[in-house]
Amino acid sequence: MNLFDDTIQQLRSFLDEKKASGGLRTMKVSPSDWPAGEKGNIVLGTDTGVELGNPRDESASFMVWTEKAGDVRDGAVHIVGPDLSESAGKSLPFGKAVILGVEGMDEENCYGRHRALELVRYDLNLKGYMMRAVSQYLREWSRVSRQAVADGFSFAALAGALAGMYRKIEYVKAVEFVFVTSSAADVRSLGETGSRVERLIGAMNKMAQEMSFDCGTCDFTDVCSEVEDLRNMRKNLGGDADVARH
Amino acid sequence: MSRGTEKKSVVIALCGKGGVGKTTLSASIVRALARDPGNRVLAIDADPAVGLATALGVTVRKTVDDVRNDFIELVKKRQAGDRERVISLLDYEMLGALHEEGNIAFLAIGRPETEGCYCQVNDMLKDIIASITGNFDYTVIDAEAGVEQVNRRVLEKVTHLLLVSDLSAKGLNVAKTIREVAASAVGFERAGLIINRARSASEVDSVALPESLELLGAVPEDETIRRADIEAVSFLALPETPAFGALEQCLEKIGVAAKGSCAAGQGA
Repeated sequence: MNLFDDTIQQLRSFLDEKKASGGLRTMKVSPSDWPAGEKGNIVLGTDTGVELGNPRDESASFMVWTEKAGDVRDGAVHIVGPDLSESAGKSLPFGKAVILGVEGMDEENCYGRHRALELVRYDLNLKGYMMRAVSQYLREWSRVSRQAVADGFSFAALAGALAGMYRKIEYVKAVEFVFVTSSAADVRSLGETGSRVERLIGAMNKMAQEMSFDCGTCDFTDVCSEVEDLRNMRKNLGGDADVARH
Repeated sequence: MSRGTEKKSVVIALCGKGGVGKTTLSASIVRALARDPGNRVLAIDADPAVGLATALGVTVRKTVDDVRNDFIELVKKRQAGDRERVISLLDYEMLGALHEEGNIAFLAIGRPETEGCYCQVNDMLKDIIASITGNFDYTVIDAEAGVEQVNRRVLEKVTHLLLVSDLSAKGLNVAKTIREVAASAVGFERAGLIINRARSASEVDSVALPESLELLGAVPEDETIRRADIEAVSFLALPETPAFGALEQCLEKIGVAAKGSCAAGQGA
C-alpha cells in the first residue's frame, strides 16, 4: 500500500529545500538508553528547560509509513532549526514527522496497524520529557526539563527512544525522523504537508467506525477519489466504492 | 519531574456551607504552602463561582468544563474519535487549562452547562485530574458549597478534609453532614473542623461544637484579609497576619506543615 507516498515525497522536497539553504542537519538516532520516567508525568513550567509546540505556538506532528523500504533512510534524524541543547529557556514552535518503512500492509490490517503505530508515542516515558498530543489536530506539545537538557537530552535521543519502540513492532523495518524548530512558518509548512495525512486518517476512521457507505454525503470523497488504497479499503468493508463517480 | 515517587502527594479539600470563607481559607493555605519554593502546589477551584482564581490573582482562560463542553461539541459533530484519541485530546486540553505561575498551578473546574449524560467523559476527566495532582506535593481544593461534590469528581483522592464553618448552627450542621457523607464516599486520612472569622476564643468556647468533628482551631476575623477580598488583591501579595498564623497552626495540627519562612508571593 502507498497511502502516504505523496506526503513522503512532499516531505523530501521540504527537506531538500532546507538542505539547499543550509538549514538542515542530519544525524543518526542515539542509542535508546535514556532513563525512563513515569507515565503521565508533567514537567511543570518552573522545571522546563525547553518547551516545544505550546498551544499558543505553531505545532505540527504526524506519522506516515510506506512499503517502499528504499524511500526511508533508516535511523536518520533531520533537524531544521536549533536542537534542544541550543534552546535552553526557550519556547519554540515545533514540527515532527516520523517516516516508517513497513511491510505486509493490506486493506484488512491497515487501519488497525496504523492505529497501533499512532499510539506508540503515547507509551513513551522518558525522564524529564513530557508529551501531550492530539492526532486529530496534528498537534504535539512537549516540555523537556532543565535537568534533562543539562544531561544532554536531544532530538537524536528522543528519536532513539521512539525508534526503539517502533522497532519492537514486527512489521516496522525502518524509522526516520524530521524535527522542525526553526520558525512558525516552517512548522506551518510541515503542517500543510501533514494536513493530507489527517484527511486520509479521517477517512479511514470514518470507514472503521460507521456503517454508512453513502459517498454522496461523505466528507472524505476528495481523498477517496484520489487514493486508490482508500477505495480498496472501503470495498473490503463492503461498500460499493462508487466514490470515483462523484 | 517525578514527584510521585519522591514524596507523597497531599490533597486537601475545604468543604462547608456557602459563605463561611472556604475560598479565603483555600487561598490562605495555597499561600502558606507555596512560601516554600520547593513545594509544588496545585490549587483547584471546584466552586462554580471561581472565587479562588480572584483570591490568587489568576485570570481563568479555560475551565475543566470548557474542555468537557468542547469535547461534547466534537461528539455531536462526530469528530471525537475512538477512546485513545478522546483520552489524548482531553489530556492535552486539560494541561492547556492548567495555569502555572511560579511554584503554583491553578485549575478551575467551572460550571457544568451541557445537559445530558457524559459519564464516561466525566470519569476520564476525573482520572486525568487525579494524574495531574500526583505531580504536585500539595493540592488544595476549594470545594463547592454543601455536600453534593463530596461524592463527585475531584474529591475522590482527598487525603485531608478540612471542614470550614463559622459559629452559626447552620454552618456547623452542614460541616457535620459533610463529615458523615464523606466518611463513606472519600478515603481521606485526616479530617478536622476550622472555625473561620472567630471574634474571640471565648466565643468559640461558648458554642457547642459537634462531637464528631475534631476542632483544629479558629481563624480570627482579619482586616487585611477583609480588605483584600473587597479590593480583589491576590492573597499571595499579602503580609503575615494573625489569621494566616492561626491557619498554619490548624494545618500543623492536621499533619500538614506549611514550612518555609521566606516571603510570600512566589507565584501567581
